[in-house]
Amino acid sequence: MPAFSPRIHEAPDDLLAAIDWCYEQGWTDGLPVVPPAVDRVKAMLAVESRPPETVIAHHPATGLDLSLHAAAVNAVMAGCLPEHLPVLVAAFEAMDRPEFNFHGSTASTGGSAPLLVVSGPYADEIGMNADVNLFGPGNRANSTIGRAVRLILRNVFQMIPGISDKSTQGNPGKYSFCIAERARGNPWPLLCAVQGYPPGTSSVTTFAGGGYCNVENHGGNTPEQILGSVADAMANYGCITLGQSVVILAPEHMGIVAGAGWTRERSQNFLFTHAKRSVSGMESVGKYRDREYDTQHGDGAHTLVEKGFVHRGLSPDDILITMGGGDAGGHSCFIPSWSRGRGSILQHAPIRPRS
Amino acid sequence: MQLYSPTSTAPKRKAFRAPALASLEGMRLGILENGKLNAEEMLNEVAALFVERHGCTIRTLASKRNASAPAPSATLVKVAQEVDFLITGLGD
Repeated sequence: MPAFSPRIHEAPDDLLAAIDWCYEQGWTDGLPVVPPAVDRVKAMLAVESRPPETVIAHHPATGLDLSLHAAAVNAVMAGCLPEHLPVLVAAFEAMDRPEFNFHGSTASTGGSAPLLVVSGPYADEIGMNADVNLFGPGNRANSTIGRAVRLILRNVFQMIPGISDKSTQGNPGKYSFCIAERARGNPWPLLCAVQGYPPGTSSVTTFAGGGYCNVENHGGNTPEQILGSVADAMANYGCITLGQSVVILAPEHMGIVAGAGWTRERSQNFLFTHAKRSVSGMESVGKYRDREYDTQHGDGAHTLVEKGFVHRGLSPDDILITMGGGDAGGHSCFIPSWSRGRGSILQHAPIRPRS
Repeated sequence: MQLYSPTSTAPKRKAFRAPALASLEGMRLGILENGKLNAEEMLNEVAALFVERHGCTIRTLASKRNASAPAPSATLVKVAQEVDFLITGLGD
């Protein structure tokens, strides 16, 4: 096997000129990047115990590989600090699974962006934001880890806008789409615990998110009212499919739901039951398909599936719910899947401790 | 200053085009539909034109469960033994 020898370029010594030089190479997402100077990349890689040539993701359409080294280069360019790299690596280890289908979800006209949800103590350790202004802007870790995902898709896997990334309208999350799950005041078990990781192990969940839908409700005071408005957003004709869902409840809304004793499972059941449209309604907008109805209602259909209706997803487990955002405000959100069916399934992976 | 390249260090995969058929007359035709709305209908219309104009015979219809992922290799190996050429395309 030939020795691992990443390419080195001679760029202008002047920093501003080097930034312009990176633009000329086509290495950016449209915003200026930090030039990936050799020393800075080596410092980034120092947090990883595995060899830099270790492959962490493979692109089935082009055969291109993502090495730890290339991940570190792009992390530097995005503005990451070395302690951010383990989150980025775990995210690509999750996205590398065939079920996530990261080629399809990044090439498609659907225009999804990989949403990262970081759960567990590592989020606090590296100063991630799970609180006010959750989706940004303002926090370096959230912003740069999410941005590094996009730079890797662009630079390593060559998902070039307009050429191999054919998104019809794009998505603001394609610049960065990375949050932390709020642990402070969260009445439900954290995602990393539900996912089965041992105490102290953090995780990152990846989801091909089709956008962002704000769910405002300042008048509701019961779980049914709050989750009823979330379910309505999930079932809007523009979004309803058999795909999965991510719901981030604001602390105010979570206080109402969990304060009434509702668990995550009960909330998932409620959302699945109510996020639905009638067959005639789906037909009225031209979105009804026998094949999809049969997938949801055929053998093995979930017991909450109602005849004559199309629900969002196949079961309550297709709805990831957790808490995030600032203390004030009745603003939760629903993030639809890129996938209309089972073309991309959310994945999670543990975040490896730094070496 | 010296900068690392942010691109992949993996060698580019070599890709080859299949040789073009000398003639379409009487060839065996396969259809690979991707499961999207209208895909099967559109491809059947296209296949009918090959039958009408070139005397092709439609030998097989294969489906992808996932429109945006490559066809499983087992599917391609199977249809390659049954047909002379395959038509596919997006239907949305």
